Amino acid sequence: MTAFIELRRATKEFRGIPAFKDVDLTLEQGEIHAIVGENGAGKSTLTKILAGVYPLTAGEMLVDGKPVKLASPAEALASGIAMVFQETNLVPSMTVAQNIYLGDEKFFNRLRSLYIQAQRFLLSLNFYVDPMALVSSLGAGKKQMVEIARAVHHHARLIIFDEPTATLTPEEKFHFFNLARRLKEQGMTIVFISHALEEALMLSDRITVLRDGEVVVTDKTENFDRERIIQAMVGRTLSGELYNKAGGRTPRPYGEKVLSIENISMGNTVRNTSFSVYAGQVTGLFGLVGSGRTETMKIVAGVLKRDFFHGGSIRLNRRPVRYATPRPAVLDGIVYVTEDRKVEGFFETMSIAGNVQVGKLAKGYNPLAVVSMAEARDLAKEWSARLGVRAIDANARIIELSGGNQQKVVIAKALVQAPKLVILDEPTRGVDVGTIVEIHNFINQLADSGIAVVMISSYLPEVLALSDRILIYRQGRVVEEMAPAEATEARIMYAAVH
Amino acid sequence: MFLLALVLFVIFAVTLDRFLTAGNLVALVRSVAILGILGLGMGLVVIGRGIDLAMVATMVVSVSWSLALADTGLPLGTALLIGLVFAIVVGLASGILIAYATIPAIFTTLAMGLIVYGSGRAWLFQVDVQNTPASSEFFDFLARATIFGVPMMIVAFAALALLVWALLKWTRFGRFVYATGDNPSAARVAGIPTRLLVVAQYVITAIIAYLAGLIMAAANSGMSTRVYNSTMIYDVLLVVVLGGIGLSGGRGGVRNVLVGTLLVGILLNGMTIFDIAYTQQNLIKSVILLIAIIIDSIVNPRDEQTAQQEQGDI
Repeated sequence: MTAFIELRRATKEFRGIPAFKDVDLTLEQGEIHAIVGENGAGKSTLTKILAGVYPLTAGEMLVDGKPVKLASPAEALASGIAMVFQETNLVPSMTVAQNIYLGDEKFFNRLRSLYIQAQRFLLSLNFYVDPMALVSSLGAGKKQMVEIARAVHHHARLIIFDEPTATLTPEEKFHFFNLARRLKEQGMTIVFISHALEEALMLSDRITVLRDGEVVVTDKTENFDRERIIQAMVGRTLSGELYNKAGGRTPRPYGEKVLSIENISMGNTVRNTSFSVYAGQVTGLFGLVGSGRTETMKIVAGVLKRDFFHGGSIRLNRRPVRYATPRPAVLDGIVYVTEDRKVEGFFETMSIAGNVQVGKLAKGYNPLAVVSMAEARDLAKEWSARLGVRAIDANARIIELSGGNQQKVVIAKALVQAPKLVILDEPTRGVDVGTIVEIHNFINQLADSGIAVVMISSYLPEVLALSDRILIYRQGRVVEEMAPAEATEARIMYAAVH
Repeated sequence: MFLLALVLFVIFAVTLDRFLTAGNLVALVRSVAILGILGLGMGLVVIGRGIDLAMVATMVVSVSWSLALADTGLPLGTALLIGLVFAIVVGLASGILIAYATIPAIFTTLAMGLIVYGSGRAWLFQVDVQNTPASSEFFDFLARATIFGVPMMIVAFAALALLVWALLKWTRFGRFVYATGDNPSAARVAGIPTRLLVVAQYVITAIIAYLAGLIMAAANSGMSTRVYNSTMIYDVLLVVVLGGIGLSGGRGGVRNVLVGTLLVGILLNGMTIFDIAYTQQNLIKSVILLIAIIIDSIVNPRDEQTAQQEQGDI
């Protein structure tokens, strides 16, 4: 039996630099195949080759045993390959039905019959989505369903997911897993990239591990466990350094009360929530995506504004504060490290030194003060050493670094402002396993040095391993506080969803 | 880009026997000095991810009004000061609208240019061409004085270029302009006062436009309001884009303005010597502008997401 899709000695280069080389990969009809690997291992590029986004530099790709050259995603779709990207490709201002049939409309398009058709189609897939709803009004999980429906409508036999669960709530994840299994039963092949190894282990039939652009191993899932995957990914054993640490660890004592939030509200996202943050501790904020954690801390940092009337009060060291912009917050010693470093984190045209220096300069006043390039270089050297930023060339632009190193630079850029309160929003999102450990160690050092650290995270092992107090968010407010000793993954999740 | 300027220079020098005379070279730099000064201001706002299409209007109206006031008997110094204040007010208005009302810079300044020009023609002065006062030492000095044989115009251009270079390269303000142009939301989160910064950029640009106007008035012994209706603002954009300052912000510097000025200067001078008609010159310039913008958008794509895809999302 010939495999559904086969890559033979496939190589892709960008400007002479290989993203992956000599990759052999087979995908069978009706299997769920997980691709895992550190950042920069070539996962995204590999799936984009399958989806026809990029052409191969060398090697060949076979569909049903016949060699093909896919020039565009449209051609890939014609041969039955659809890709669901991390950021969805739907048109937000159109309805669900219009999106499903996009590019497939009749010349005279009658909406009524389109909606009926779409309703039938969605029900046949067991998707409970209103075909007349605007896509912009849907949550991430429903959007994904619409994308899948679109792929099925175009007779896709292979659906590729890039980090399908990154934006989903645990409930939606559960639905997604069921959905993937159902699609598999219908003979669909599913490929997904994931950073969450538990998901790969739980869902897939086979796992391929990539490292530095090469396939390390492809094997049946039952032959893998966490430890073996990580070992294959990083080429070394982390020996549980990262996980299950909460048990044997005593939480740090409460320091001075740095921040107290009383009854703050912002529209429907933050609803009348109160809590305090103490110096010398890591306060972990856990909650589902959209539960208002990020928004609350952005209000504290002046990035967003709380309601003017009945907005509640925020005290920084007992002094009431209300920031209209982030600048006064930064001057008062509050820094916010974003969850989306590309949008709010770094300056892509600048080097490591340039980025860190902007952080330092932003804390000053005199606009005509002379800046020194030597000082910037020293700063970069100091912080690169402290955080372990690895760059081949110190003058390299930040965009050329890996995700983990970019994150370290963004953290350095914030810490150079000598903060008293550090807000880290998903500090290890899109960061490879080795770097996660380094960032965690650094967060511990920060708290030990007496700084108040607030860590927002959706990753339970991280919350458990680092937090001295765990605050759980649900629907815009803190609903429960736990000490790490009494917290378990199940208890935290229970509080977050019920 | 600098190479391109050199190549163009060599081609003109070889093919045109009148090109490489001292007189022509001085005339070349003189003719583009004003364009270069305006380019410095435009470069500054473009690096900050903005654009100022009101520069020429600000230049024309502020200087014309100064001259008109001087005509009515006001002391020249006072009249010039009023013109400067007018330019600053225009810059403030544009900047505040762009930074605080978050209107796109291109539309704000386009409208601002029309408003400034319209109100100038309606209320501030009546005649088309405002002459400089007949026996003004100030304008005589700007027009005729030389330092080591270099005309004052070119000296002024060089001095301003040096000033803007130092501002961009060596001050906190300059770093902030680059940071904001590169990624406005990251700059805001980092604690940079981005809105004040935008206002400051447009005020500085308006002042630069006013200074360019003074030099223009000195060179032509008067300011013609028809300049606003010429293609000058596009020539300024040509200087900036051809010099290699990315319209997506955060890239380039004064060196690029100088290269752009030289390129445009050589181009204009060469076309005039070749005796190409005015309309055809405009056509050639516009085609070059379009090509330069296309190249710029390929080299420096505006969207960060696409920028990343170009480099291979590995």
